[in-house]
Amino acid sequence: MNSLIVLIGKTILLFSRILNLGSGSTWPGHVALKLDADFIEHTLNKSRLKIILVTGTNGKTTTVKLLQSILEKAGKKIFVNFSGANLTNGVASSIIQKSDLKGKLNYEYAIFEIDENTLPLVIKQLKPDYLIALNLFRDQLDRYGEVNSIAKMWKSNYNKLYKTKYILNADDPQIAYLGSGILSKVYYFGLNDQKYQTHQVQHAADSVLCPSCGQRLDFKRVYFSHLGIWKCPKCGLSRPPLDIEKTKFYPLKGTYAVYDTLAAVLTAKIIGINENVIEHALTDFKPAFGRQEEVTLDGKKIQLFLSKNPTSFNESLKTISEQNPKNLLIVLNDRIPDGTDISWIWDVEFEMLTNKHIKLFLAGDRVYDLALRLKYSLKRNGKAYSVFENLNEAVKIAVSQTAPNHKLYILPTYSAMLEVRGILTGKKIS
Amino acid sequence: MNYTLALTIGWLYPELMSTYGDHGNVITLQKRCEWRNIKAKVIELNTNFSVRDLKKCDLLMMGGAQDTQQEAVSKDLNGKSSILNEMILNGIPGIYICGAYQFLGNYYKEADGNLIEGLKIFDLYTENTQVNARRLIGNLAFRTKDFGTIVGFENHGGRTYLGKNLKPLGFVMKGFGNNGKDGTEGAVFKNSIGTYSHGPILPKNPLLADALLKKALDKKYRTFIKLPKLDDYLEQKARLQVAKRLSIAI
Repeated sequence: MNSLIVLIGKTILLFSRILNLGSGSTWPGHVALKLDADFIEHTLNKSRLKIILVTGTNGKTTTVKLLQSILEKAGKKIFVNFSGANLTNGVASSIIQKSDLKGKLNYEYAIFEIDENTLPLVIKQLKPDYLIALNLFRDQLDRYGEVNSIAKMWKSNYNKLYKTKYILNADDPQIAYLGSGILSKVYYFGLNDQKYQTHQVQHAADSVLCPSCGQRLDFKRVYFSHLGIWKCPKCGLSRPPLDIEKTKFYPLKGTYAVYDTLAAVLTAKIIGINENVIEHALTDFKPAFGRQEEVTLDGKKIQLFLSKNPTSFNESLKTISEQNPKNLLIVLNDRIPDGTDISWIWDVEFEMLTNKHIKLFLAGDRVYDLALRLKYSLKRNGKAYSVFENLNEAVKIAVSQTAPNHKLYILPTYSAMLEVRGILTGKKIS
Repeated sequence: MNYTLALTIGWLYPELMSTYGDHGNVITLQKRCEWRNIKAKVIELNTNFSVRDLKKCDLLMMGGAQDTQQEAVSKDLNGKSSILNEMILNGIPGIYICGAYQFLGNYYKEADGNLIEGLKIFDLYTENTQVNARRLIGNLAFRTKDFGTIVGFENHGGRTYLGKNLKPLGFVMKGFGNNGKDGTEGAVFKNSIGTYSHGPILPKNPLLADALLKKALDKKYRTFIKLPKLDDYLEQKARLQVAKRLSIAI
C-alpha cells in the first residue's frame, strides 16, 4: 500500500513539474494523506531515520539549513522538507520525493521545518528524536489565532513525547517553560553577552507575562522583543541555565541569526558532531532562499531579507541599518502566505530608517498602507520615498538607482519574496 | 516652536493591550496634532498607573489583546475603573478597540459558560457561543453617519450585542462587525467609540481621527476649534486599495 502511494505521489510530482504548476510542492502529499491518513507515520516508522523537527515563528528555514550544512559536512545523509512548504502536506510530499520507488528512505537524518500551528498534528504522526523550538512571536494572527493559545497547545502536546530530546530557547519565556516539569532530556540555548542588549521599548512584545502564573515578568536584559534574561517576581520561574551561549563563528548577521546558529550548533553537539566540523560547516555556509540571500543583477549586489512579521521586520531593519544602507526596497503583500492582516506594520520601527539618508522604494499589493506608515514615521510632513504600484518597475528602478559600489537591500513579505526572486532571476514565479 | 494648543493623549496598557498594531492609532493622533502645530503629549498608562495621570488625559485609546493579557488588565483596573467611567460620562473622547471594546460592556460569556465581568460603561454584552466557534476574521468596511465609510480589519472570537439605547458606530458593508448577524458594527456612547476595527483604524480613516481630536480640543478649551485641513492623498489611496480588495465603492 505504502509503496503504491509513493508511486502515485511521484507521478503527480512529475506531472506538476512538466505542466509547471506552482503548487507542485504540496500536492503529492495532499493526495498521499487522503489515501492514507497515517502515511507519514507508516513510512517513517519503517526506516531507521532519526527525525529532527524545527519549529517556531521565525528562523526555522535558516536553522534547518544551518543544521543540514553541519550534518552534511560530517558526512551524514540528510533529507529536509521543501523550504516554505512546511505544513503536513509538505512533509508528506518531501517523503514522497525522497523515497525510492519501493517506498524506502535511505537517509540517516530527516530535518523537518514545522509551522507552529501544525506541530500538534505532525507529532501525532511522527515521534521526533530531536525537537528544536526557536521562539514564539505574533505572526499571521488571522490564520493562527493568538500566541498564548499556541503556547498552551504546545505545552499539552510536548508532555506526550518522552523519548524526544528538546532543544529550547531559554530566552523566550514561553519556549523555556515548555521544558519545565517534563521527563525528557532538555537542552537550552540563549545569550549572555551584553553586546546584544537593546534599550528600545518594544510595544510589539508578545509574552511579557509569566507563562506559569500570569504575573508580569521582570527582565534583567532584553535582546529583542520579549527575548532576554527574565524572572517572575511572584512564582520565581526564571530563565533556565544555558547549555550554549556562544560559538566561534556566525555566518549570518543580526541577533536573531545568532539564536538560529546556537540552536543548530547545540543540536549538532548533542548528536556528537566534532567542533572542528561544526566550525568548517559554518564558515562555508550559504544562506537559504531569501534569508539574507545575495543576488547580483547588472553588476549590482542585491540582498534579500525575508521579513514576515513585526519581530523579523524590526530585526531585519536593525541588521540592515548597521550596514550603512543607501538603497532599500520594501514590498508588502497581503496574500494568504503573508497573512491577510497587515496591521503589524504599525509595530515596525520604521522611524529608524526615515530619518537617515536612504533611498526608499515601496511596492506590493498594499503599497499605500506601507507609504502611509512611512509618512507617519517621518519627522516632517515630506516625501522621502517612491511608491510603485508595479513590482517589476519598482525592482528595475531600485536596481538602476543603486550606485555600482552600493548594495540594494530588499525587505519582502513571503509571497513578495517569491515574486522578487522571480523578477531578479528572470523567471517569474506565480 | 510656539504652540497655542496642546493635548494629552492617554494610551491605556500599551504593554499588555497592543497585539494588533493599535500603536498606529496613537501615532496617527500624535502626528495629526504635530502637523497642525498642536502639541501632543502621550502618556502610557501601564500596569500600576496612577489615577492622577489618567485624569490628565484629554483623549484615550485602548487596543486589543489576548485573553491572558485582558485578565491582567482587569485586575489592574479594579478600583480605578470608576474614574475611567466618570471621564467617559463626562465626555472625554476615546477609542476602544476589540478587547477593550468588549471590556467596556456588561460581561463576556465564554464558550464554557464562564462569565467575565465588564466595566459596565457601555450597555452591551459579548458571548462566544461554542467552543472552537469560527473567529470573525478579515478585511472590514462599514458605513457611518459622521465619519464616512470606515475600512479596517477585524479578528475576534466574541460576538457583541448592543443594548436598546446604545447606538452602533455603523452598519457593515463587508465583513462581520459586532456579531455577524444584525449588521451593526461598534458602538458610540457620549464621545467614546468602541469598535472591532483594527487595521489600525485611525491612519486609514482620517475623518474619524480628526473628529476625535476636535472633540478633545473643543472640550478642553470650551470652544469650537476648526482644524486646518491636511493632505490626505495617501490615506485616500490606501482606502481605495482596501475597497478594491472588498469590491466595494467608497
